[in-house]
Amino acid sequence: MKRIHQIATSIVFINLVVIVQAKAQDLVRGEKIFEACASCHSLIKEEQSTVGPSLFGIFGRKAGAQDDYRYSPAMKKSGITWNKQTLNNFLTDPQKLIPANRMPFDGIPNLKDRNDLTAFMQVKFK
Amino acid sequence: MVTKLKEVDILIVGLGWTGGILAKELGETGLKVLALERGDMRTTASDFSLPNIRDELRYVHRQEMMQDATKDTITARNSQAQEALPIRRLGSFLPGEGVGGSGMHWSGGTWRWTDMEFKIRSNYEERYGKNFIPTDMTIQDWGITYAELEPYYDKFEKVAAVSGKAGNIQGQKKTGGNPFEAPRSGEYPLPPLKHILSSKLFGETSQKMGYNPFPRPSANASQAYTNPDGSKFGACQYCGYCQRFGCEANAKGSPHMTVIPIAMKKPNFELRTHAWVTKIIKDSSGKKVTGVLYTNVTTGEEYEQPAALVLMCAYAFNNVHLMLLSGIGEPYDPATGKGIIGKNYAYDTGVGGNLFFEGKNFNPFISAGGTNTVIDDFYGNWEFDRSKPNFVGGYIVSSGHNTALPIGYRPVPPGTPSWGKDWKAATAKYYQQAMSITTRSGVLPNRYNYLDLDTSYKNAFGQPLMRLTFDFKDNEHRMGMHGADIVNQMISAMNPNKSSKASGAKRNWGFTPYQSTHNTGGTIMGTTPGNSAVNKYQQSWDCHNLFLVGANVFPHNSAYQPTGLVGAMAYWTADAIKNKYLKNPGLL
Repeated sequence: MKRIHQIATSIVFINLVVIVQAKAQDLVRGEKIFEACASCHSLIKEEQSTVGPSLFGIFGRKAGAQDDYRYSPAMKKSGITWNKQTLNNFLTDPQKLIPANRMPFDGIPNLKDRNDLTAFMQVKFK
Repeated sequence: MVTKLKEVDILIVGLGWTGGILAKELGETGLKVLALERGDMRTTASDFSLPNIRDELRYVHRQEMMQDATKDTITARNSQAQEALPIRRLGSFLPGEGVGGSGMHWSGGTWRWTDMEFKIRSNYEERYGKNFIPTDMTIQDWGITYAELEPYYDKFEKVAAVSGKAGNIQGQKKTGGNPFEAPRSGEYPLPPLKHILSSKLFGETSQKMGYNPFPRPSANASQAYTNPDGSKFGACQYCGYCQRFGCEANAKGSPHMTVIPIAMKKPNFELRTHAWVTKIIKDSSGKKVTGVLYTNVTTGEEYEQPAALVLMCAYAFNNVHLMLLSGIGEPYDPATGKGIIGKNYAYDTGVGGNLFFEGKNFNPFISAGGTNTVIDDFYGNWEFDRSKPNFVGGYIVSSGHNTALPIGYRPVPPGTPSWGKDWKAATAKYYQQAMSITTRSGVLPNRYNYLDLDTSYKNAFGQPLMRLTFDFKDNEHRMGMHGADIVNQMISAMNPNKSSKASGAKRNWGFTPYQSTHNTGGTIMGTTPGNSAVNKYQQSWDCHNLFLVGANVFPHNSAYQPTGLVGAMAYWTADAIKNKYLKNPGLL
């Protein structure tokens, strides 16, 4: 019994490690993918919007709501609230979800890339 | 009344690529660095955002980012027999104005000039004999070597996010790159841009014909990238709005999003915009400069800005103009061949043809500054025998769309009426079906191509305009004839439904249409004060605390675009100032 328990513990332990490692890798991937955004967007609280709006605190925020950025009418009227799912949808093909938005970026076609990116963005704020 | 200001350690005149590189590098010394820029401040966020930046009328036809020719321009003529007239609407070339300079509206073409250029006279005399070089062709060796510049090319390419494919890494030939390039220390910082249909078709044809196609190296980031200084680039979106526009995606290497903001973070760096320098001031000995005079163009107030070291980083024309206005160095006289300032003005030229394919959709609007395939078999290839075509230099051949502007891009086959219903129908039909093949040759300097001060026309400050006397000579004509023959062979091999053939007919240079903003020479580099205005560090022979940085130091022009060399030499000069000059000020 004790032995079984030991084995069970080690299996759980191994699983945990695997999950944690995979997550860490995803976050590293997400950070790398964020390079495609970083020349226009900042995630840092202290930095203002530049070429694109600051992404600090984006989760739960309404699209087009930052005071220090001039958004396109399309973005302001989109009615979207940003969360992992809406960001994921938007980033698939930004002009498809919000036609005539001003972001010069053709999107991230790969689902895992988008998941890792939004996971990274989410962790960054915690 | 002129207000005299407090002396600064280093004064930079003009804040584009060269001024930005020197500001960033020399700002690191902790010395007080001041940049004077006569135009506006520009940033991606405030000036290049969508949709406003993609406005052909505003930026191409109304030339909003360019030098204002109503205030200052040059007068131009083809020969001394003509009266030069001021160019009041820029055409053939488009010097930029404002922070970032012409580095904002360039395409991004970034090449390495090699010892083939730097030792041009020695090379040609050795291979073809002294008599091969025409008497009036005033080419000379530069006094600098490729080996000296290689690390600085590497640095500039990394800073500017150049995408490309190496053809020669440390002497090892690499497939897919330019086999004729000089050895590089490493691969380009980014892989080449994607092929578009026109560049792909041209590549396939040239390969079949036995040539060596490769992607044009360009400062268009093929993927998101962070440069060694930490400047962040977005990936190129292939929007086709590089040349004459700023990049909204921060994907085109430009000084305003790389070196300039880094310099501006330093407390010892200051930028004054709208500061128009009218004169460089010499001391009584004439062997040093003491600063500059400038006018604040928003208030009209005039200032004297003293400086221990003056770095002229304006556009090539304006660096030469200020030397002439300030009486530094001896103005060039074509009658006697004596004097230096204004000598060896050069430019570039080329020939080309259009191809029309029924049923093909080139989607020319999906393109970038570097979406081209190029062959260097008739330039960088030193084995190419110039004795029969009888010219010095050569040309590259390239194809691939770079832009398809909605107003200006109207390719139609020969025989199409030039206006009316049929013309309209043809422009609609062929917008998608046309591509072109073009050559680019450097103009070689000629005794009678030069810059001096105009005797009639003045700028907004009452100063004489600079006068350009320039025309294409026989050497350009012979390169054009040879190039047209090759282009036409390639057109035939591609078998289009219709085509307009390249013509090598002799022609004069004209102020329009646009050709290129690759104006070189006027304060040339050389081995002695007798044959040049600056030494190999771009330092004035006359005044050791004056550096003239930019294409104005090139003794001749090349088939390669100039900015790679302009950038590399700015870094090279920055290092020489930092490590040598500041420790022991004097002639390097």
